[in-house]
Amino acid sequence: MARLTPPIETRGQLAAIASVRWQVFTHSLRSKRGALELFSRIAIGAVITCGGLGGAILLGLSAWYFVAHGKPEALALLLWPVFLFWQLFPVMATALSETIDASNLLRFPLSYPAYVLVRLVYGALDPATVLGSFWLIGITLGIGWARPPLAPWGALVLLVFAIVNMMLTQMIFAWVERWLGQRRTREVFAVLFFLAMISLQLVGPMLSRYGDRSNTAIHWAGRFANPVQAVLPPGIAAGALASKASVHNTTALLFLGALVLYGVVILRILSVRLHAQFRGENLSEVLGSAADRTIRQGVRLAWDLPGLSRESSAVVEKEFRYLSRSGPVLLTFVTPIVMLFVFGLGGRSGTGAGFLQNWPELGLPVGAAYALLLLTNLIYNNFGPDAGGIQFFLVSPASFRSVMVGKNVAHMGVLALELVALCIGVTLLFHPPSVTAVLLTLSGLLFAAPINLAAGNLLSLYSPKKTEFGTFGRQRASQTTVLASFAIQGLIFGVAALTLLTARSYGRQWLAVLAFLALAAVGFAIYFFVLSRLDTLAARHREVLSTELCK
Amino acid sequence: MPDPATPPAISTLNLTRRFGDLIAVNGVNLRVASGQFFGFLGPNGAGKSTTIKMLTGLLAPTAGRIEILGLDFADRTADVKRQIGVVPEGLALFGRLTGTEYLTFVGRMYGLDRETTAKRTAELLEFMQLANEPRKLVTDYSHGMQKKLALAAAVIHGPKILFLDEPFEGVDAIAAGTLKSMLQRMIARGATIFLTSHVLEIVERLCSHVAIIARGALVAQGSLDELRAGVASQTPGTLEGEGKWTLEDIFLRTVGGTRSAEQELSWLG
Repeated sequence: MARLTPPIETRGQLAAIASVRWQVFTHSLRSKRGALELFSRIAIGAVITCGGLGGAILLGLSAWYFVAHGKPEALALLLWPVFLFWQLFPVMATALSETIDASNLLRFPLSYPAYVLVRLVYGALDPATVLGSFWLIGITLGIGWARPPLAPWGALVLLVFAIVNMMLTQMIFAWVERWLGQRRTREVFAVLFFLAMISLQLVGPMLSRYGDRSNTAIHWAGRFANPVQAVLPPGIAAGALASKASVHNTTALLFLGALVLYGVVILRILSVRLHAQFRGENLSEVLGSAADRTIRQGVRLAWDLPGLSRESSAVVEKEFRYLSRSGPVLLTFVTPIVMLFVFGLGGRSGTGAGFLQNWPELGLPVGAAYALLLLTNLIYNNFGPDAGGIQFFLVSPASFRSVMVGKNVAHMGVLALELVALCIGVTLLFHPPSVTAVLLTLSGLLFAAPINLAAGNLLSLYSPKKTEFGTFGRQRASQTTVLASFAIQGLIFGVAALTLLTARSYGRQWLAVLAFLALAAVGFAIYFFVLSRLDTLAARHREVLSTELCK
Repeated sequence: MPDPATPPAISTLNLTRRFGDLIAVNGVNLRVASGQFFGFLGPNGAGKSTTIKMLTGLLAPTAGRIEILGLDFADRTADVKRQIGVVPEGLALFGRLTGTEYLTFVGRMYGLDRETTAKRTAELLEFMQLANEPRKLVTDYSHGMQKKLALAAAVIHGPKILFLDEPFEGVDAIAAGTLKSMLQRMIARGATIFLTSHVLEIVERLCSHVAIIARGALVAQGSLDELRAGVASQTPGTLEGEGKWTLEDIFLRTVGGTRSAEQELSWLG
């Protein structure tokens, strides 16, 4: 196990790493692009801080209420959402999460404990940790406000809870990265995932069949769920707080001990991965040279897609090969389907988790919007995964226009596949989507997609960032791109909501379809205008592209 | 002797590139005749990579003009790019494709039809001894294999001029032999090769003509014999006969290189 007090040499190394990161940051401010990145980071940081403070106030007031009214065991209701957000957000929003590449450190005489510390500390600098920490501080203050003597204990328990959360996030990241890093394990992961999906499909019919006995089912589920949640970290943390509030000090200590034990076990499991990385593990995609020697297949003909130039067809083929080999990206693509099941099955009427059961008509449009939103991670940084390959595009005679068309077609192909999967999901969960829902979804996408593609094509040239398709958590676009993406999505969703509400107020949904089609015409005009300017812009930004992507 | 009526393969006029206050390349006038195996030399930071980047379209010149096979690069960019092949410093590979997929992709991007692309891909993989591991991703290739693949990609469309930035850096003797064999075939068929390298022995053995750049300016240009004669005339009596001058001697004399071996560094033991 790692030594708790690092020796002087290790402290020097950690200080040097911090110093280098600071120097890299200050040097990045020398360019306009770096300054823009800082501005975007501050803006995004402000949004996150507002979310953190708002959530902290809300959770703090709730904690105060529960403790002041003698219901400290209900703190579990606050700790569970914090826990789930902390663990799920980094996986669901890879655009905002990033793991650090510590492989460069391996050439230095860095001890394993120091390596673990670096990974834990720098890996914790993500929005989920910042927000989660804010919220836990809010809960601590709420507890302290209600019962001041409980504040130190509350702070201690929630500090341990925060550390457990941080380590668990890193553990999940590290293991998912491992499973998605190789073809064989990725296939196993995919099979397990689809088995889970099939299992979930059985829940829908069961709920409908036994719907009239839902109260009994809920009571049964409650009886089953409560003991389970009580032995998981949020439940244990709530138990520690509730026991102390009831002056059951020994029980409180036992709960805290259990929480620490969780931390130790999580650190141990995380350590297995970190140790493999520390030894210089390389997650190779190769099937094995023995297999290769026997394969020696002939060269297959390249794709030839109707309506597309040779260059665009080649790019579409390349993009699909890249996407199919990226576990993290594939996981992103299945997320809308997962969310459809989560919101479709999560609870009964009136609860937030299962809201699609109340409005099943929203399943397809909401799923499609979410799919497009996730896809913007790729669309807004088209050349990120190509990294040094950008030099090929710059020296080849192919126009950037045809390259971008290829990339856009590939990404829209993915969206089309997702739409089909969502339609199947909605049909299995509820009923086939209505013609109105399909028309609204398609017309809405016709409006939103070209605008996103146009913006993405521009941002891909103006603000590129090298990403790694093979490594989980290294798909984050630049902060400028993330900020611009927020603004564009806000605009698109605002216009879409206004259109839908207006049509609803007239009681004629087809009006929204017509309005979306009219907006789509504008969107396509913008898209083609941007497309016509791409070669000039790419020539002007070739140094930025080359410098940023070949780092 | 090149035909005077034929435009040079590469010519530059006052080629200049500034990065802020730094002048990386300063008024370079290069002239490379068709069919030459041309070595472009210079110490670290002299402007070699900046020059080759400008010649291949990776970097825009601040001033000056580039003509490739008589075509103005700025006006006829796509036409020029169809005539050249490039192995840039970063190799420009797509790591998550296999070698076969990468060459197929490159062939199509240069406008080759599907059948020609497949045929040339198979031949190039065989020639470069990369056909044994068809399912291996480029990212898992060794450095030497990546260099061979990059060269294969640079020639798949049959370019008239090949630009190579440090093609032999980090390559073992076997891979270097394969690369040299490919380059000599191209020269035999009338192509022009422009390469930068730090390995002076290789340049001396392969190249017929050389240019040396130092501190952004061209300080020598010509055939190896012309350079030897030039250095010998500037430093008479240093060596007996100009034939004894190696390219390393010429290089060191021309760029004024000195070794700082007198420094202390006593802690090295």
